[in-house]
Parts: sequence; structure tokens; C-alpha cells
Amino acid sequence: MSVSSRLSRGGTIQRGEGLRLADRSDRLGALMAAPALLYVLVLVGIPFILALILAVSESTAGSLSFQFVGLRNFARVVGDPIFRRALRNTLVFTLISQGIVMVLATTLARILNTPFRGRRLVRFLILMPWVAPVALSSMAWVWIFDSTFSVINWTLRAVGLLGPREWLYWFGDPTLASIAIVTVHVWRMLPFSTVVLLAGLSSLPREVQEAAVVDGAGFFRRLLHVELPLLLPVLTVAVLFGMVFTATDLGVVYLLTRGGPYNTTHVLASYAFQQGVLGADLGQGAAIAVFLFPVLVLVAIGMLRVARGTEVGH
Amino acid sequence: MGGKMAPLPHAGAITSHGGVSVKRREGRSTLGWQNPVGTEAAAQPPTQERQVSRRTVLKWAGAGALSLAAAPYVFVPRVSAQRQRTLRIIQWSHFVPAYDVWFDQYAKAWGEARGVQVTVDHIAFSDLVPRANAEVAAQQGHDLFMFISPPAAFEPYVLDMADVVQEVERRHGPILDLAKRSTYNPVTGKWFAFSDNYVPDPGCYLKSIWTGIGMPDGPSTWEDLLTAGRLIREKYPQVQIPVGIGLSQDIDSNMVCRALLWSFGGSVQDENEQVVLNSEATIQAVEFMRTLYREAMSPAVLSWDASSNNQAFNAGQTSYIVNSISAYRTAQENGLPVADDTFFVEALRGPAGQWACEHVMGAYFIWQFAQSPDLAKEFLIDLVDNYRDAVLASKLYNFPSFPGSVADPGVPVEERPAAGQAWIEEVCEDDPFGSVPANKLAPLKQALNWSTNVGHPGPANPAIGEVFDSFVLPDMFAKAATGALSPREAVAEADARVRQIFAKWRERGLVA
Repeated sequence: MSVSSRLSRGGTIQRGEGLRLADRSDRLGALMAAPALLYVLVLVGIPFILALILAVSESTAGSLSFQFVGLRNFARVVGDPIFRRALRNTLVFTLISQGIVMVLATTLARILNTPFRGRRLVRFLILMPWVAPVALSSMAWVWIFDSTFSVINWTLRAVGLLGPREWLYWFGDPTLASIAIVTVHVWRMLPFSTVVLLAGLSSLPREVQEAAVVDGAGFFRRLLHVELPLLLPVLTVAVLFGMVFTATDLGVVYLLTRGGPYNTTHVLASYAFQQGVLGADLGQGAAIAVFLFPVLVLVAIGMLRVARGTEVGH
Repeated sequence: MGGKMAPLPHAGAITSHGGVSVKRREGRSTLGWQNPVGTEAAAQPPTQERQVSRRTVLKWAGAGALSLAAAPYVFVPRVSAQRQRTLRIIQWSHFVPAYDVWFDQYAKAWGEARGVQVTVDHIAFSDLVPRANAEVAAQQGHDLFMFISPPAAFEPYVLDMADVVQEVERRHGPILDLAKRSTYNPVTGKWFAFSDNYVPDPGCYLKSIWTGIGMPDGPSTWEDLLTAGRLIREKYPQVQIPVGIGLSQDIDSNMVCRALLWSFGGSVQDENEQVVLNSEATIQAVEFMRTLYREAMSPAVLSWDASSNNQAFNAGQTSYIVNSISAYRTAQENGLPVADDTFFVEALRGPAGQWACEHVMGAYFIWQFAQSPDLAKEFLIDLVDNYRDAVLASKLYNFPSFPGSVADPGVPVEERPAAGQAWIEEVCEDDPFGSVPANKLAPLKQALNWSTNVGHPGPANPAIGEVFDSFVLPDMFAKAATGALSPREAVAEADARVRQIFAKWRERGLVA
């Protein structure tokens, strides 16, 4: 018997008919959410707990033994200058790349929100970096920034901006290597933030914007005092995701510089991999890996509070 | 599928209560399923919309999922209950691809002759350590696991290979000292791996450029290299990196930095596994590298990966690199002009000697949890019995860890090492793979005289392995070369890192 046949005109379920699972929104909802929860628990929760356990142990690669050493691994990594550099890099790369992403994404979203010929194609192309596998795209960037064969350098030389004895060693200089890493992070995160902001822009009430125009507000006044405040919840989500993705990313640094030159571009994820997996010291690697977790949790809580506070009704 | 459909309130209505609306045309829905005959819905006019309840969707989804789950049991033929013996091998994707072709065929034929199903997996060399870690964590994986550097950190979890070494020595004569020091831990007395081959690490130079500066035979000392680098920079400004010695976090940089260090008399540890890095000899080596970097190299070498030196060399952007012959073989196969211009020299001599690190140390081990340990050991013994074929399949890239294994058949055991060495010299003098001139590989024939193991002058151990894998030495040289630290500071910092690593492994009883 179908749902509709068992509903009275008032929409209530007729007495005497037992509810089946499909009709119980509460239980059905829990059932539907179960696979996702299971996924998070098995593939995120359990490995995270294992990482915490490893971080207070003396585990080594290839070892199944566990010897509790308290916070010794943390004390050791804090005294390690490469770790401190990696921590600083993680924060700097994340903040700078997200700042650039937000400016560019807002600009792009505004452009894409305006009707023009070929807009669908442009939207599709902008999404490409997001869907491209990071290993593949990073390899392309490796060639673009290659210290010997960089296409950027050859172009600069061709247009006369680099002299015959001048050369930019992108991955051979700590500053240039950092610029390259930030560039790839921006390239990776820009599509996601643009799409999120575009969705936010599309949902802004037109009356508010029209009222601002009628009141004589110029472009920047409308942007800063009307659109951005209304976009803040969406913007916050985009920044939050961007920060978490960038701060925890291993692929970009590992594929571009492997932490070089001389360990100056490591981030926590790549240094944890180098020490924990390649260097066989799982305990120290885990300690490095979980170091950023409390910081990210606090950032997430703070940003979500900001977003909630700006929602209508709060 | 095809459960009862409730009559619609009126034709063409959109479903309510969470139902899914599906437009039907001539008995087939737009979703493509056939209309079930005999149901109430079948009697509906073709153009009428029908309602599909949430429950129905769930039923279909459930039925579909069950069908998918059951399909393998229904359609896939049952595997024979009789279990076949298996041997699973994992190793790197060889730098000379022809070797992998030979090895896979050899392994298959070996298995067929014994009724064993042999599988060989090849992965990138950089994935070997993460993969080994995963197998230990899972306590399952391959029977034979091959590394290209001594896998000392895994010693507690692998079988002792002493019986394999003894059997092969009984057949072919003694193992090379360099291979023994890479696979045997004198502290625990355990052969934690079995080495079938090592790969020499000679210097490669572009003869046309070196002839242009009056040194057609290439360098023979580190001082020659510095002199030539200055001249090449002056005469050939188009060569971006006159001398291509890597100072980055890659395997080739690791090797060449050790070669320089040992040639100046420095080392990470001594024969007794005591840390001795912070020495005047090491500081001299670092000072020399700083000069070499500033006068004959460029910052590009700080960012090189394992293929960068080959690429720069093939493109004529550097005139000298330290590498195996694989890049030359690739250039030969691809008909690149650089192949004829590529020549080799022995390891460079420094104030304290002439040393190079083996480029690759082939080392197999067997997990304690391996399913077929006896088969794995048998396979290794038979592999070494066929090692002349292996050396030729690798186009002289692999050199045998048991020189006697490449001697002619029938030579008595006590004469096999000398006979095998004679054969190696013969093929280096007359390369069977088309080198011009034919004796191009002659500098490799005495590679044993200047090749040594990663932990030289001591043995392999987990601490040496971690120092190697965390690129402590390339970092030390790079920091001094770029001026980030003075030579003395760079050495002191590296020494502190090394001591910390040694202390950790010493606590665990794996280092003397």
C-alpha cells in the first residue's frame, strides 16, 4: 500500500496502521546518515586516535610494539629547528594563499555572476583545477617551475625581462620555492572558493542591492557594506575549508619541493611524512602530524561562530 | 521491481509526500525500465504520470544493492578448492626497463617449473618504504620484498637470511664485503636481507665539452672537477650548471655527498658504529663543496630529484654528473645524440682516498609473516644461479653481489669469484650493447676498488638508514654551500641530528 493511500485528507497517518521504516523520517534519516558516519569513524576517527596513540609512543616503522613515552616526542619536535620552520611555513602558506584566494575568488565570482557570452564555458574551465588530480597538476607545476627548464624563465628571457646571465631558480631558493608553493595552493583552492561565493552571490536578495543603488551607493560601498556582510557566512565556510585543506595538504609540497631546498619549505604534513614514514620514526612523525589539530579545531570553532552570528535571526 | 502503484489523485499530477514523479511514454519510463504488465499502473494511459513512493525507491535500491552484492557469487566461477602454492614478490621498477621484462619472464618460468604461481609487483623506488611499513602494519603482504638501499630498520620483523647466504656462498664463493656490510648487522648477528646485486656510481661527463677545455679524459680528482668547472663556466656560458652535483633531498645527492665526504676522510660513523661526523675532515669536505657550488654550480642543484641530473645532462645543461649507467642506456635506446658524447670516469680521488657510494644496493628480505618463506629462499638461490643472465638483462647496470655467480658454468667454486670478476672486466671492455667506443664502460670494471656501502666504514644499521632517509648530509652541504650556515656550523648541526638518531636506535639495541 502506498503512502498516499494511507494518509487521510488532513495528512495524518490513519490509526491502526503500523509505521514502516520508510515512513519514519527520524529512523530513516539515521539510517541514511549511517554510511557517512561509518566512513568518518573508520577512515578518519580511528586513524586519528591511532595517530594520537603513536604520538605518545616510541613506535618505529615496521614495528608493532608500543612503548609509552608521554610527551617526549612533542618535546623533541619542539626543539627541532626544521619542525619550527615547518610550523611557520604551514601557517604562512595557509594565510597568504587563503588571503589571495579570497580576493581573487570574490572578483571572479562577481564576474561570473554577470551575464556574458561564453559564461558557462568559463565556469567549466575555472572548475578544472579543482577536479584535476593533485599529483597530475603538481607534476605540471614542477615543470613550470623547474629550476633548469622553467617555462616562466624562458618566457621572461624571451620578452627581455631576464638577462642572459640571469635565472630564477624557483625550487633552489627558499623564497622563490615558497612563492611557487603558494601559487599552486591558490590555483588549487580558487575554483572551490569561487563556486561557493558565486552561489552566495546568486542568492543575495536583489531588493537590497537595488535599494543600495537607489540610495546612491557606489561600487565599493555596495561591495564592502552590503554584499560582503551578507556573504560573510558563505565566505567563512569557503575560508574555513580552504584553510583546513591547505594547512593539512601533503601533496603540493611533497611533489614540488620535497621540503627543499635544505628543509626550508616543509610544512607539518610533509615533515611528518619524511620523519614518520621515510625516516622510520612513527612516534615523532605522529607528534608532528597532530600538532596542528588543536589549532585547526579552534580556528574552525571560531569561524563557525562568526558565521552563525551573522546569520539572520542570530 | 514493479510493486503496486497507488492510483493517482488525478492524471498528470505531480506526486506528493516525498514521492518521485516519473513521466511514462508508451509503456516505458524515461528512466528506461519496462512497465510491469498487470499492475494498476499498467492500465494508466501512456501519457499519464505515475507516482513512485519513497518506500518503492528504497525497495528498488535495496534489491539493486543485494543483486550487486550477490552477483560475484552467482556469475563468477568458483575457484578450485585445491590451493596452489604461491610466491608474491615486490620490487622497484628498474631504471633499465628491459631488466623487469626479463625478471618477470624468469619468475614466471621458475614458478611453472615448480607448480608455483609467482606474481611480481613493480612499484616506484620511492614507494618501497611506505609500502613496507603498510605491510608490517597489516602483517600481510609479499613474500619477497626488495629494497634498493639497506632496509635495516625492518630487521626485527624479517627472517634471518644466513642460510640463503651460506647456500649461495657454497655454490658461488663469498659475498662481496660491501654487500655484507649492507645486509648483515654485527650487533645482532643477523642477515636481515639478502643482496643479489649492487650498482656502481661512476662519474658521467660530456666529452665534447671537456675536450674543449683540454681535459678529454674527464676528471680523476675532486680538484680536477673544480678546475674544470671554472673553465667550463668561462668558456661555455650556455651550460647553466657546469658541474652537476646534487645537493637536494634525493637519492643521488645522498650518494654523491657521501662520496665527497669519504674522499676527504670524513664519515658519519666509524667501524664500530660510533658517530664521528663532526671532524676536521668533514669540515674540509664541506668547505670544498662550498667552493665548488659557488664557482661551478647553480642553485638548481638544490632542488634536484633523482631524474633531474639526467635531464640536465641529456640537455647539455651540465657537463658532469655522478650517476649509474641507466641514463646512458636510455639515451642509447632513444637514439639521443648525447649517448655518443657520454663518457665515464671512476670515482673521484680526494685527499684521503677514492670512494663512491654504491648507487643501488639490491636487498631482498622475507617478512616473518610471509606465507611462503621457503619458496622465497629457494627463488633467491636460483636467481643467483642465473645471475649472468640478470646482469645482461640489466645491460650491465646490475653488478653481482656474488662475483662467482657470473663465472662460466663448470668453474670450481674456489675459482668462481676470480672468474666472475674476469667476465665483468671483459664485458666492460667490450660492451655487448653497442657502446661507441666498445670500451666506454671500462672505468666500471674495477668498481669494487672504489665502491662502498652507505654506512662506510661501518656496517648498515637502522640509524645509518634514518640518516640516509632524512637527507642529513645533503642538507649539511647545501646549508654551507649557500651560506645559510658556515661550514663549521653546518657540520655541528648535522652532527647533532645524527647523534640524536643514533641514540634513539642504540636504546633499542640495534646499534653498537
